[in-house]
Amino acid sequence: MARYGMVLDYKNCINCKACETACKEENGILLGADNHRIWVGTKEIEGEFPFLNIASNNFLPSQCQQCANAPCQEVCPTNATYYDENSVVRVDPDKCILCSYCMTACPYDARYVDDRTKTVDKCNFCADTRIARGETTTACQNTCPTKVRIFGDLDDPNSEISEVLRTRDHFTLKSHLGTDPRLFYLT
Amino acid sequence: MQVEISRRKFLQGTVALSVIAASTSALSNTKSQNDKKTFGTTKTSNNKNEIKIVPTLCEMCVNKCAAYARVENNVVTKLDPNPHFPKSQNMLCARGNAGIQALYDPDRLKYPLIRVGKRGDGKYKRVTWDEAYSHISEKMAKILDEEKDNRSCIGYCAGEGMAEHTYKTFMQDKFGSSNFVNHSSICLQTTVSGYALTIGGYGQADLENAEYIIMAGANRAEAIVTPDTMELFKRTKRRGAKLIVIDPRFTNTAAHADDWLPVEVGTDLALVLALTYVVLTEELYNKKFVALNMNGFEEYKEHIISSSYTPEWAEKITGIKVSKIKKIARDFMHHAPKAIYYQGRRTAWSKQDFQLRRAQAIFTALGGGIDKEGGIVFGKKLPLGSHSINAPIYANAEGRIEKDAAAIIGGSGSWIAWRNKVVEDKSPYPIRGMFVYKQNPMLSIPNAKKTKQMFEKMDLVVVIDTMPSDTAMMADVILPECTYLEREDPVKSFGGAQPSIALRQAATKPMYETKPVIEIMHGLGSKMAKPLWEVTKKHDEDVQDEIEGKSEAEIEAYYKENGFDLSDDFAHSQEEINKHMVEEVYGSEAWKILREKGVYYLNMDKYFKKLSSNEYQWYPRDRRFYSVVRGEFKSDVFHDTCVNEKEIAVLKKEFKTPTGKVECVLNNLAKKGVDSMPKWRDEMYTATPKGKFKFITGRHGQFTQNATSNNAMLLDLMPENYLWINKRIAKDRGIEFGDTVEVESNVGKIQIKAYPTEKIGFNTLFFIHGFGSTSDNLTLGVDNGASDNEIIDDVIEPVFGSAAMHETIVDVRKV
Repeated sequence: MARYGMVLDYKNCINCKACETACKEENGILLGADNHRIWVGTKEIEGEFPFLNIASNNFLPSQCQQCANAPCQEVCPTNATYYDENSVVRVDPDKCILCSYCMTACPYDARYVDDRTKTVDKCNFCADTRIARGETTTACQNTCPTKVRIFGDLDDPNSEISEVLRTRDHFTLKSHLGTDPRLFYLT
Repeated sequence: MQVEISRRKFLQGTVALSVIAASTSALSNTKSQNDKKTFGTTKTSNNKNEIKIVPTLCEMCVNKCAAYARVENNVVTKLDPNPHFPKSQNMLCARGNAGIQALYDPDRLKYPLIRVGKRGDGKYKRVTWDEAYSHISEKMAKILDEEKDNRSCIGYCAGEGMAEHTYKTFMQDKFGSSNFVNHSSICLQTTVSGYALTIGGYGQADLENAEYIIMAGANRAEAIVTPDTMELFKRTKRRGAKLIVIDPRFTNTAAHADDWLPVEVGTDLALVLALTYVVLTEELYNKKFVALNMNGFEEYKEHIISSSYTPEWAEKITGIKVSKIKKIARDFMHHAPKAIYYQGRRTAWSKQDFQLRRAQAIFTALGGGIDKEGGIVFGKKLPLGSHSINAPIYANAEGRIEKDAAAIIGGSGSWIAWRNKVVEDKSPYPIRGMFVYKQNPMLSIPNAKKTKQMFEKMDLVVVIDTMPSDTAMMADVILPECTYLEREDPVKSFGGAQPSIALRQAATKPMYETKPVIEIMHGLGSKMAKPLWEVTKKHDEDVQDEIEGKSEAEIEAYYKENGFDLSDDFAHSQEEINKHMVEEVYGSEAWKILREKGVYYLNMDKYFKKLSSNEYQWYPRDRRFYSVVRGEFKSDVFHDTCVNEKEIAVLKKEFKTPTGKVECVLNNLAKKGVDSMPKWRDEMYTATPKGKFKFITGRHGQFTQNATSNNAMLLDLMPENYLWINKRIAKDRGIEFGDTVEVESNVGKIQIKAYPTEKIGFNTLFFIHGFGSTSDNLTLGVDNGASDNEIIDDVIEPVFGSAAMHETIVDVRKV
């Protein structure tokens, strides 16, 4: 069993949306603007033409933060949200009653409603597709043109992700909330 | 740090265009439900055993990235990157991932069609392939009889693609028409030729090793090019590569720049000349490299200095400050030879474009960054076996019609000039018919009204495509091609510092009644050959002389031996031809590897390694072809750490130019009325009148021109295009975000929604190319946004006859 996490070298991101399309194709996500497990947050540039502040414009790829201390899991009344054997935060659609507490609880706004199944959906690190087939990458990691992502087992000290986290400065989002995300952003 | 992380904020935001697009998506909410069609994606299987992986090559844009098609029960469920290809370096972009939608698009052309309505109204009847071929054959025989076997009375065009040459072989070598037009003159003709004539080749920008890059008008974060895009953005943002972006718009590429300079549209040449002036007057150039490798340098230096192309002069024209010009010139040379003035791709901008590209090439050469790691490298190309064509000779076929339209009209023609000759009745002989393969001139050639008129004049228009495009709606006969995932294409060798051979294989069988173009050419050739042979016998005196007095059997033998059987070169399957081309040079083991891995190069088994989750090795560093121009330098010379990099750059080279050196002066061009050295010409510059705007166009990472206009998944990311207009100008004119505005030029007007932004200057308007289809048969793509070519004026660049697409003056108003 593994404890999966992901490191994002977000400065590489060019907001090309390859990750989003790969995720949709891999996981059969419904098309439509409200349906996506993964996205790139963008911040509009500041300043007036021609004096624009380049540094103020950034692209931040995001998705479920796979918190070790997930608020969504805590509030779920039916235990539909659970940790799987690889510590991935998953949603069991059979147990989900669409009360949407988890959506309210998630500080990262990472969950949405799948109109087809009428259940809450979100990133699961391709647990029931690629990982289930024995592959060792997620669709987004694999396809990314500028190689933003490193996916791997945080419990394995020899894994690349462990090595990167040992050697490079990084941060997590909203760390003050104590959610202990397993998505790490390289500075 | 302050960053946007919320998905909901992302949806509601009014920031980037695509974000706006997503929040106002009409696609999932209205169109698909109204049409009762199901679009979407399939979840991939969790069972490894149900999956077959087929290595192939993407065709969603021109890059040809290596992909694995995952096939489950004969259905392609996912496309993943194939790591073996050094060019695409294990990536697949949004379009690459959305390739499945091209295969399963419900609007695909499924059967051969013959027009029953008026041209352009989209009414067709389904016919068999044989009926379609017969229809074409009869019309062709009639036209050619009336034109006395002048084969050139049938024009033909093609978009870029791996089977383009199969089609061209048929139309040019077998059928015998000289009137070919392709994408070059609306795309990269000026830069490819500008660099080739100056340094001997277009080369490849070695962005993996460059320390300083000036990228002007090239938008590699959005118009993705492999490997440039991947190599560049891993090193920007103070991580090894300094990037200077020169662009009238603030793009996603500019977001990664160290400096962004909004240049006045159409003045890039003045900027490069001023940069050159600084380098020459301050003597910052690589003197050894210049002395050994540049021809006509003193003359060029004298020309630049005596013309007073000073930064002060350029500031007035370009709007870029003197201090910036000086700084860039100095910084560039400080980092040279690992410094590149990026060549660019779709360079059909202004009338002065060819000289701009020459000036850029010379500027890079002044630093010594040609044929040098970190500069522009030529690399190596792995040879493929030969494939000979039995091409007939037609005595009555005439030369192309637009030869006089520019100084140099090459084999791929000038699209605008060619079309205008037909429309304006200025063709030396009538163009009676047109074959269109994988191109959509109705949306891709400036001044769409005229393109429509051109098609209306034709007696026969045949379109071979996968989708019912706007151009297909102008056809008499539509022949449905299968998509790239359903066919094997000609094997291709990709040159560069890490050369390889790659193969597109079919992931699944052709759906409906679609066929690959090689089979279409075989079928059409079989049907047309004899009727056209009769026409040739009737009008071609050379043939008449040859067959005079011969028996029927001897004439038949002559017909076959001399290639008049139009189908004979297409009798073998593409797979057989590819096998032959590879095995002839590399043997059967190489062919096996190529089919299994999708990619082949020498020593691949030893060299190719996975280094980490994101890194691969294709060639070890010391085996790459960064410098190849002159073979006598042993490779170890270049890897001897005792040798100074600047010293290496100056080693005498031999470029593929007439003198073997970088050509500062091209006297043979002067004979054709073209300046022998890059020179700014005021009279060739279109100034923007006060209160009006210059219109510019460009591309985007989630859309490839108009071939992707009906792709459900890509439309999901971006359903329509928006007009970029400066926020303050928009305010003055009462235009707010989402308002419908009308943009009008000399040649037409369009309506589009507005996107007021500070990312564009006061006198410039922009929207993305590839939208605005009017074909009702594209149920998702029709009427989304606007087509730029409805308003772009048909201005011809005078050296190669390229389209000058950024010369159009427009006005805008709220409707």
